[in-house]
Amino acid sequence: MPGFLFKKLHFKKILNHEQKKSAGQYSSSVSLSQNLEENLRVLREALGSSSDVIIRDMKISSDSNIDAAVVYIDGLVDRALLNHDILRPLMFNLQLIKDNLSHNHKSLIDYIKSSVLTVGQITVVQDIDRVIARVLTGHTAILAEGATRALLIDAKGWETRRIEEPKNELSIRGSKESFTETLRTNTALLRRKIRDPRLTFESLQIGERSKTDVSIAYVQGITPDNLIEEIKQRLQRIDTDIILDVSYLEQFIEDSPSSLFPTVGSSERPDVVAARILEGRAAILVDGSPMALTVPFLFIEGFQNPDDYYARPFFAALVRWVRLLGYLLSIYLPGIFVSLKTFHPELFPTQLLVSVAAAREGLPLPVVLEALLMLLLFEILREAGLRMPRSLGQAVSIVGALVIGQAAVSAGLVGAPMVIVIATTAIASFLVILFAEPGALYRFIMTLAGGLLGLFGIVLVSIEMLSHLASLRSLGVAYLSPVTPLNIRGLRDTFIRAPLWAMDSRPASLDSPNTRRQSSGQMPRPPKTSSQQGDTQ
Amino acid sequence: MLLENGKISSLQLSLLIIGFIFGASVIIAPGQQAGHDAWIAIALGLMEGLIIAGIFTVLTQHFKGKTLVEINSLVYGKILGNFISILFIWYLFHLGALVLNNYSRFLKLELYPATPKALTLILIMLVCALTVRRGIEVLARCSLILVTITILMAIFDTLLVAPHMDLQNLLPILDVPIGKLLWTSHATAIFPFGDAVAFLMVLAFVNKPEKSRSAVFKGILIAGLVLIGVAVRNAAVLGQMVAIYTYPTYITAQVIDIGDVLTRVEVLVAINLITMGFFKISVVYYGTVLGLAQVFNLRSYRPIILPIGILMVILALTNVSNTTEMFDFANQGYPIYTIPFQIAIPLITLLVAKLRKLPQTRGEQA
Amino acid sequence: MKRKHRLTICLLILLVIIPVFISGCWDSIELNKLSIISGLGWDIDADTGQLTLTFQSIIPSEIKSAAGSSGDVGQKRGDPLHTIQLDSSTGSSAYDALNRYSQQSSRRTFYQHTQLYVFGHSAAEKGIYPLLDSIARNPVNRPNVLMAVAEKKASDTLSVEAGMENIQAIGMAAQIKLSAEYSKFPVVTYLEFAQRLLSETTAPLAPMVGIIEQTGPEGDRVQKTRISATAVFKGDKMIGQLNEDESRGLLWAINKIKKGFLVIPGANLEIVSAKSKIVPELQDDKIMITIAIDEESNLLEYDGHQEISSDLLQDLEKGQAREIESQVMAAVEKSRALNADVFGFGEAVHRKYKKEWRDLKARWDEIYPYIEIVVKVKTQVNEIGEINRSLN
Repeated sequence: MPGFLFKKLHFKKILNHEQKKSAGQYSSSVSLSQNLEENLRVLREALGSSSDVIIRDMKISSDSNIDAAVVYIDGLVDRALLNHDILRPLMFNLQLIKDNLSHNHKSLIDYIKSSVLTVGQITVVQDIDRVIARVLTGHTAILAEGATRALLIDAKGWETRRIEEPKNELSIRGSKESFTETLRTNTALLRRKIRDPRLTFESLQIGERSKTDVSIAYVQGITPDNLIEEIKQRLQRIDTDIILDVSYLEQFIEDSPSSLFPTVGSSERPDVVAARILEGRAAILVDGSPMALTVPFLFIEGFQNPDDYYARPFFAALVRWVRLLGYLLSIYLPGIFVSLKTFHPELFPTQLLVSVAAAREGLPLPVVLEALLMLLLFEILREAGLRMPRSLGQAVSIVGALVIGQAAVSAGLVGAPMVIVIATTAIASFLVILFAEPGALYRFIMTLAGGLLGLFGIVLVSIEMLSHLASLRSLGVAYLSPVTPLNIRGLRDTFIRAPLWAMDSRPASLDSPNTRRQSSGQMPRPPKTSSQQGDTQ
Repeated sequence: MLLENGKISSLQLSLLIIGFIFGASVIIAPGQQAGHDAWIAIALGLMEGLIIAGIFTVLTQHFKGKTLVEINSLVYGKILGNFISILFIWYLFHLGALVLNNYSRFLKLELYPATPKALTLILIMLVCALTVRRGIEVLARCSLILVTITILMAIFDTLLVAPHMDLQNLLPILDVPIGKLLWTSHATAIFPFGDAVAFLMVLAFVNKPEKSRSAVFKGILIAGLVLIGVAVRNAAVLGQMVAIYTYPTYITAQVIDIGDVLTRVEVLVAINLITMGFFKISVVYYGTVLGLAQVFNLRSYRPIILPIGILMVILALTNVSNTTEMFDFANQGYPIYTIPFQIAIPLITLLVAKLRKLPQTRGEQA
Repeated sequence: MKRKHRLTICLLILLVIIPVFISGCWDSIELNKLSIISGLGWDIDADTGQLTLTFQSIIPSEIKSAAGSSGDVGQKRGDPLHTIQLDSSTGSSAYDALNRYSQQSSRRTFYQHTQLYVFGHSAAEKGIYPLLDSIARNPVNRPNVLMAVAEKKASDTLSVEAGMENIQAIGMAAQIKLSAEYSKFPVVTYLEFAQRLLSETTAPLAPMVGIIEQTGPEGDRVQKTRISATAVFKGDKMIGQLNEDESRGLLWAINKIKKGFLVIPGANLEIVSAKSKIVPELQDDKIMITIAIDEESNLLEYDGHQEISSDLLQDLEKGQAREIESQVMAAVEKSRALNADVFGFGEAVHRKYKKEWRDLKARWDEIYPYIEIVVKVKTQVNEIGEINRSLN
């Protein structure tokens, strides 16, 4: 009985200890001792008996009298690098050195760092907790007998995905690279686009257990300082176990979590993120996530696409309008169709009404239910098509086309006009992927409102939707800007896309301290001299 | 203690005023009593309306950043000031109920004969309440999009109906007796232009107070011009029938028929009505709750939004029993009933403030 | 605390919205529970004074099979009458008849797509004001429904076979519009009719629709509708009609000529454009009205008795001016005989002399037949066609 109690108490103690450790900063923790055995014992205790933790003992120096150990986690380090540039110099090159190092333990670590190891990034630390934390992120630690400092070598190397083509944000003319799961690769991709020395990646770790590396990317002097401060504050507030994906962060830092619309942008394309950073935004990258968040996020960004900037301006404007129209269609079409059919048949032109009424004859379900049923079927198909193993995808489309299209109509369950409406809606809903989720929800709401109250209901819901959108903010920036509050100069990149040489200032709604993007008056003109020559000839 | 943190720009103020004036008048044609001379009545009314606006904007220029309630308590002292404020708030509240009433009557007659008025009113109220909750800033932002759409739709309607227009229908000019014309123009000055006095509760939140005056004028002027255009269009299309129809704008839109395809678009007018009515109701609703919150020193106006809304709906459902009564009130009663609120209160407050040289003492206090 | 508050508000909102769901949608209608009316007819029995309402409604399922699967198109197309259904009900007033109709219908009537109001001859003579009011007060009435008067009975007119159109009333409306397009008879919407009715002096008009019989492809007798005249109303009562020439004359005067043909001796001209203006002149209580017509046309057909020259063109211009003037004068004579101001001279005077109008208005019926009317026609022949010389 007492033993049990004792055990329990002890358990609690350990728990407390652990909690403290995890909550507290590393600065207040234990320093390395001179005794290697002691250090290794602490390490073993902390890292446990996991099979992937490798502690490699060795004797170094010319007379092999200094005990040392290399600690790393198998799978997180580059083995070739480890063998060739760490283990071999330590065990082989060190022995060639004639000096007796044993008397000079203090400088041993420095000596190894400066003259032995042939790897790039090495840091010297004194805290054992720091060692543990870094080893867990893939660093290799070198500890030596008699040294109160340890070397941490960045020899990270694990199986990663290569840089691939973007899967979701396709572009015809733009670059074909997308972010990967590795933070460093992603920052490198950005750095390669913006070679400005003021491009800054501020790093922090979030997640009590996951210790995920998070990096805030911005360009000093272009991104407003208060924005960076606000982002940092919001990020530091997060207290959670694990950050699996960038969207975890999104949900912790967004302005209006109860809104259907996203107020944080995300992209998998380095070119998009680089462009947004240079507009005065900040990006947030998370290790393990092939997406980057960009804030502030404005509503209009949902309708912008990298190809708009790569294509010629007139076509880009057309595409913008098509997207806007398509999005409105995807929200409104079923609702309006239902409300016209059930409340305002007088609004159809007569011949259209006659054909719609003809298709309606003998159908069992009320129009609202018919529409909702078809919408639901579409959502089911979409979800199934998305999640189903690729080999089965074809089956879904065949069954879907048969069930929704042909069979339902010929069986007299739904009318052909309804199928056309829902199919149009479905296709239109893919035009603006970023707002597909709120779009789908509003589609249902509009259909219900249209079926219960007709156009009056739809207008009311629309006003409410607009008022809601107008009330949203993304890190202090009004969501609907630059349209409302109106910023006329900002409109150059909304319903039209002005030529690149005409967009000489950064979007004003983002409040960048450096408003000028480029010098104005860069419109290409034929060279003056050559035209004169042409005249004279 | 700030009840409202939002700021609106002068452009937004102008648009808000346009939306407010369109409010019920897109559908209830102002100056209809004057038949095809309605546009003259509106033009005269517009001038009188600008004078009314001149009075209350002078008042707000004197007391920058203050709502009427705050001005009243400064000018008349706490007790008398609050009493006058409550009178004004009653006017706003009653105006809201009247607009709601118009609204539901139109919906009942033209679109939803069987749906109970209470339901449509409650739903409109709910949408307005949600927006009022979000503050004046959000309402002002909505105005930009909705008012623009409304004006575009009005132009679109006019273009489509152009083949059916016969400007001869406007002749002879000044066909109505002059007395009737003047009375009608006074009625249009009061409704819709004079109702802009409700902005005494809003002007305090303009980010550049020195520009608010011209913004109010611009808004009223543009709205007036559009209304004149609408009146001309309606008369040109409907001829003498313009005086007979209850909702001439709606009927005018029904006339549109471009090749059997672009036809039956009157619903656009109905949509305009609903969206613009939303502004008018929201502004007076906002003024009512904000005013009450200021009179009773509440920390926030939000808790009283729903109760006031419910009361407004109840008043709207009970105050007028039939359309004839409503029209009689709108044409005969209303132009007199509102004079104390639209002209007397701002004017007297301004005079008293001048006599007491109040803006300066405010400066000393601050 | 705050969250609780929000929850309460949400619950309240739900409480408001749920009744909408439960009690359903008062004004919602399913299309398959509607009978879409395409044409309405009013007849008054001259003896009993009973009113008969004729409903022509669309049967959508028949149209579906006609437009749908390709196999039986031919057979169905042969039976155009199947796409509409005729019902009638009789009562003492318009609403009485309407009430009775509900006893014999399985579907709610839906009037917003009515193309045409047809008044039987006897009903038109008896006065259509009570019928019009029953339409106008009801918001389901649309201002651009066409008005027509049947030569005999409205119900017979609405039951004529549809011809090329799948719905008879739509066909008849198109027929009326086409006749106006070719400047034969006026097309009169409900709104225009009401405007004229409201002006007190101007006489309302409506095209008259008759029925002709033709021999069909299989030797059977086929009925067809034909626009035959313009009915002239005084107030709400029909008092007479204008024949083809008089109708054209009327259209010249009221600026309703769009295009069409003008036959003069030896030639046929196509009207390209025409404008007219009614200018009243008031001198010492005497009214003089000038109808100024400005017309342009192309030569369409010529019998070739003379070489084509500018002289000939001048002759043609004079000839067509004479023809136009005679048509207008025919209309004027008829309107004088009927004492019905079909041209809206009264309104023209009103527009120009609004003070004097107050006296004139009361005496208009006495003044009207004696107004001096001058027709001034200016014509021009523009083109002579593909050949510049006659073939012979």
